[in-house]
Amino acid sequence: MTPNAASLSAGPSGPSRRSFLASTAVATAAVAGGMPLLAACGGTDSGSREGTTSGKDAKKILPAYVASNVVTPDIPSKNGSSVGFSSKLDLATLKTSVPEKLGKGGKVTVMSPFWGSPPKSDNAYYTAMNALIGVDVVWQNQDGNTYDQKLGAVLASSDVPDVVVVPGWNMGGKIPSAILSKFADLGPYLSGDKVKEYPNLAAIPTDAWQRALFGGKLRGLPMPSSYVTNIVPFYRKDLFDKNGYQVPTTTDEFTALAKEITNAKAKVWACGDMKWTAFNSFGVPSGGEKPLGWILEGDKLVNRIELDSYLEALEWTRKLFAAGYVHPDFKLGKSQAVDPSTKFAAGEFLIYNNDISSWYGQQASQAAQNPQFQIWGMDIFGHGGADPVIYATQPANIFAFVNKKASEAVIRDVLAVANVTAAPYGTKEYMLTNYGVEGTHYSVKDGVPVKNDKGNQEVLNAFVMVASPASTIAHPDFPDIAKGQVEWQQRMGAFTRKSAFYGMQITEPSRWTNLSNDFEQLEDDIVRGRKKISDMQAAVSDWKKKGGDELRAWYRKLLDDNGTATS
Amino acid sequence: MSHSTVPRSRAEADETEKTPVAPGGATGPRGKRSSAKLGLRVRFRRDRVLLLMTLPAVVLILLFNYVPILGNVVAFQDYDPYISDNGVVSILHSPWVGMENFQRLFEDSAFWEAVRNTLVLFFLQLVLYFPIPIMLALLINSVVRPRIRAVSQAILYLPHFFSWVLVIAVFQQLFGGAGILSQLLRQHGYDGIDIMTDPETFKFLITAQSVWKDAGWGIIVFLAALASVNPDLYEAAAMDGANRWRRMWHVTLPALRPVIALLLVLRVGDALTVGFEQILLQRDAVGPGASEVLDTFVWWNGVRNQDFGYAAAAGLIKGVISLGLVLVANKVAHLMGEQGVYQK
Repeated sequence: MTPNAASLSAGPSGPSRRSFLASTAVATAAVAGGMPLLAACGGTDSGSREGTTSGKDAKKILPAYVASNVVTPDIPSKNGSSVGFSSKLDLATLKTSVPEKLGKGGKVTVMSPFWGSPPKSDNAYYTAMNALIGVDVVWQNQDGNTYDQKLGAVLASSDVPDVVVVPGWNMGGKIPSAILSKFADLGPYLSGDKVKEYPNLAAIPTDAWQRALFGGKLRGLPMPSSYVTNIVPFYRKDLFDKNGYQVPTTTDEFTALAKEITNAKAKVWACGDMKWTAFNSFGVPSGGEKPLGWILEGDKLVNRIELDSYLEALEWTRKLFAAGYVHPDFKLGKSQAVDPSTKFAAGEFLIYNNDISSWYGQQASQAAQNPQFQIWGMDIFGHGGADPVIYATQPANIFAFVNKKASEAVIRDVLAVANVTAAPYGTKEYMLTNYGVEGTHYSVKDGVPVKNDKGNQEVLNAFVMVASPASTIAHPDFPDIAKGQVEWQQRMGAFTRKSAFYGMQITEPSRWTNLSNDFEQLEDDIVRGRKKISDMQAAVSDWKKKGGDELRAWYRKLLDDNGTATS
Repeated sequence: MSHSTVPRSRAEADETEKTPVAPGGATGPRGKRSSAKLGLRVRFRRDRVLLLMTLPAVVLILLFNYVPILGNVVAFQDYDPYISDNGVVSILHSPWVGMENFQRLFEDSAFWEAVRNTLVLFFLQLVLYFPIPIMLALLINSVVRPRIRAVSQAILYLPHFFSWVLVIAVFQQLFGGAGILSQLLRQHGYDGIDIMTDPETFKFLITAQSVWKDAGWGIIVFLAALASVNPDLYEAAAMDGANRWRRMWHVTLPALRPVIALLLVLRVGDALTVGFEQILLQRDAVGPGASEVLDTFVWWNGVRNQDFGYAAAAGLIKGVISLGLVLVANKVAHLMGEQGVYQK
């Protein structure tokens, strides 16, 4: 059954992800699980629960923003990038951002997606975190790749954990309805100046909080992220240098390079499934969340699936598959695919796209056994010589929710947890959350913290899922990669546009929630040659007839009422 | 109800005498009639201990098989399980949509694709898979040396205990696009073949996987039936000059006939269940066009998309078709003179 499917795809992916900085590991895995391109906001049953919360209504409930300046980043945020830290951190003089324990010693159960193999429940990392926070957090870690298959069932039961972490891409079907009916309003504890009781939560940027407004209430604790696309086309820099391959700057150059690299006889293919990159190269709006798919063409709202560029991107990807440049494993799709990182490390293919956190994660996991291995991100190449048009993703996409039935004491304890996990870079709390205990999980070599095996195994996911500081990239052990990541975001950020409903948390009316369920599947069928482009055209005209045009009118009204984020 | 048997051969005549296969024959109805004469109360008193012993099983069946059937009402609703913590309350508060889910189903080409795939797979497995355990059982039965017999039985049973994940992973390593077979072909100058992701041959692939994994396990019932054949029959047949093939045809196969008929009826009743886990695991590899069957359709729409009412409607249709198939198959079994799964 499905848990087996999970173990198949998640199992082998464990080791390579172990060495991630926990906070960045999370997003990767989202991708490993297959970013469900069209699963996002769904609908609810009543009119008052649909739509979004903005303007004055939002101002009333959003928490106040109080910046924290513990360490000044040496690469400040530009073009929507994360802030970067590439200079050495003095581990001896870390600041304390939570001077007194806010936890009251209660017990809090948390269900959260986990990518990799979860550690034992009484491990040293969890114990140390619980001691620092003053709350007994009990983790129910679930396989992240198949989280959507469990979430619906758990929320339908009467036994919902105290805290449930829900990524935006798992909010398909009736999950938005569940969020509104099962989770508590945190407004009474966090709105306006009340948040100042939790200084690290007050330092979370407002656009991330804006995304945590569900059905007119502040329900989520957000994980802020850069709005620049998280999908990076990675390549094996060491093998490129060795063979004299040039990094492509257009889609045509990419295809030519793919031909040059592929040598199936020697078990070398050029790339993986490049669909996500193709969407960026051809200027297709993001499919990570339904509302992001709408853009204004002149005065008309147009959905990504109606654009020519959407079909062109699919056709280009299809050609890569048809020509045999794609490693055969990628034909299997996500439920059966073996973790690509091991075959990438083995050199079976030289290019693939994945979440930006793989940049560090892959390098760190290969550093010991494969010293010449070098992964690097290529800039997203445009189509036909023009600069690419890249559409923004959301400034926060993973949320922790508190059970509606939780008592005030439990909610306060949860906020105490969040206040520690949201501590900024340069604090003792950040260090413990992301690196664990010195001596147990990492050791300091030349002033740089280096995680050991236990650290890679235990300090992973979990606590960073509850709430995070403003999007931060910092790898004291690989400062070049931190720099590379932030600069990549800044260069791509310059090409990034925000679509009409960027930044909003929108709940679509329930009658249309199932309208685009099957598009991602159809995309995958087309690029693998099992369906034709004309099937997509038929599906799109069907979509229009069955409610797409009505949905457009609904979004139009929403736009007229709220305006766009960019306006 | 009654059936006449004109023995066509000596062996068959023996068989009808010696194996008690015909409760539909002489004794059954008479026994029934006589017990019907006793009043209900008398019979109840007489059988009370037996009835008491069946009680726990009856309660379990009611609780876990019959009560959940009531949940099928969500097929007529836009069911939202998140309205309350209690499933029953959620059902009461979900909006009724009448036949809308069914209407959507009938208009949904994906549903019909799933029905078609299910039926194609069923017939393919009936033809290619169903006879194999019988043949294997005959083969094993003909092995005389107990050691060889035990070892080969163990080898045949073993794959049954592997999980589908493992079986498919093994197939992938052998026959996948980067698998051993493909690499071998490429190294010898041919094109690689990718059996695992070809939608055209998918139905044969999963039938092959099923045979490899479960055909060995399926022989158990047949071996048991073979063990109950009276060896005298073989001796008598041999005395009459029947060779090995004739003995099999006239003694062994008639002995297996009731079991084969029973299993066939059961299999037909299960026709629309053609392997859930196995197919779900490989759904993405060939796409839903080739791999979606009714069970995965229900899973995808219900669990994955939380469109519970829609999924329940599809499940209900499947249930109704299955019931029809069982009735038909049972009727056919009766016509063949076999017992089937129940009798009037």
